[in-house]
Amino acid sequence: MTERLKLTNAVIKYSERVIIHDFSLSVNSGEMVFITGSNGSGKSTLIKTIAGLLPLSSGTLERTAKISYVPQLEEADRDFPARVNEIVLTGTQRRGKLLYSQEDKERAKHAMLELGIYELASRQLTTLSGGQLRRVFIARAICGLGDLLLLDEPCAGLDVQAHEILFAVLRKILDDGCAVLMVTHDESDINGIEGARVINIS
Amino acid sequence: MSEIIELFTYPFVQRALIAGSLISICAAMLGVILVLKHYSLIGHGLSEIGFASLSLAAALNIPALIISAPAVILASFVIMFVSQRYKTSGDIAIALASSAALAFGVIISSVTGKSSNMSGYLFGSVLAITQDELIFAVIISIIIILAFVIFYNRLFLITYNEDYARSLGINIVLYQFIISLMTALIIVTGMRIMGTLLISGIIILPAVSAKSFARGFKSLVIISALISFIAFISGLILSFVFNLPAGASVILSSTIILILVKIFIS
Repeated sequence: MTERLKLTNAVIKYSERVIIHDFSLSVNSGEMVFITGSNGSGKSTLIKTIAGLLPLSSGTLERTAKISYVPQLEEADRDFPARVNEIVLTGTQRRGKLLYSQEDKERAKHAMLELGIYELASRQLTTLSGGQLRRVFIARAICGLGDLLLLDEPCAGLDVQAHEILFAVLRKILDDGCAVLMVTHDESDINGIEGARVINIS
Repeated sequence: MSEIIELFTYPFVQRALIAGSLISICAAMLGVILVLKHYSLIGHGLSEIGFASLSLAAALNIPALIISAPAVILASFVIMFVSQRYKTSGDIAIALASSAALAFGVIISSVTGKSSNMSGYLFGSVLAITQDELIFAVIISIIIILAFVIFYNRLFLITYNEDYARSLGINIVLYQFIISLMTALIIVTGMRIMGTLLISGIIILPAVSAKSFARGFKSLVIISALISFIAFISGLILSFVFNLPAGASVILSSTIILILVKIFIS
């Protein structure tokens, strides 16, 4: 078992306000961790910090370089002239790699098939529902999957079927040794993965 | 009609056609990124700084590019940095810098008695392009098109969502730098042709028109470049036929295209 993420005595501030105070967490390969907590408790801030989008005020963050991130939806995400497959493919980009290989395209196709959105591949983002766009973001993360998958409330707006698809995908990648960290509000998510750890940060 | 065709046989018109078409195409490709990233004002701000640098170069009697190229490139980095750092006040910074630069340019021109050049700086003179300027425009255009093709996937990723790109370990600052540099180069090259007051129009207008009917990012870039090319050629013909200033005619033609697109497509 390899450690994919190690956060030690983390303090995270946002606009001078301390959001996360002295928080430690370690996640190993193949391990599922749910982060729960009330609104404003800093779940998203925590996951953004782990994704490298926000700085730590103090403490240390050690993690694998190969992460995949599913951010929360924002209104601007849909109002953009792009097709679904253009967006999904970007998940395979990495530093120092400018072009898509044939393998990348296969992986993107496979990820869209897995998430049940392959028939949307050439649709414009503006025509998608919130739940469909969320599946696009999950497919984007899956097709360039690293050693650690970070999901920020991926289930909001997903219908029952899409929810089941997501959890089937999660179980598979956990078996393959990927570590998964998911922010959620929903108790039923927690029961979706056997042996998952739950951390409440409020 | 035959008069127009005959016009295109003159070397000065051919130079205008080649340089103008290339600059229009490059500006419109870049315009897609600037419009989608809400950086539309950057082109305008930089062109005013370009105007100030042209006035200064004329006052000091040195070739314009020696001052304007470094000044506009440096300004583009500062503007990008400020608008990244202080998200809400970025547009204020651009508005302040551009009007200050314009004032500076006007004062320099008038104090040194070179205010007769001002109209050329402000509105351009596409038909007065020299052989050297043509070569410079061709080289810059090739560099910009190549950079666009090589970095296409990355530019798309960053234009869509910088935070997501950062989570993949991509060096965002490097690409912001590349986008700024390309914008500055287009402005420095294009302001001689279109004029400093009008250059931001050829960057922004075609991209806004194309956005009305392009379905994906790639088609948006291609359609924007195509619209810009059509606007340039039709603007140039308009200026010959009605004896109008060339730069202004190109912008007018691009504006008419935008209005038609908005009426018939949206």
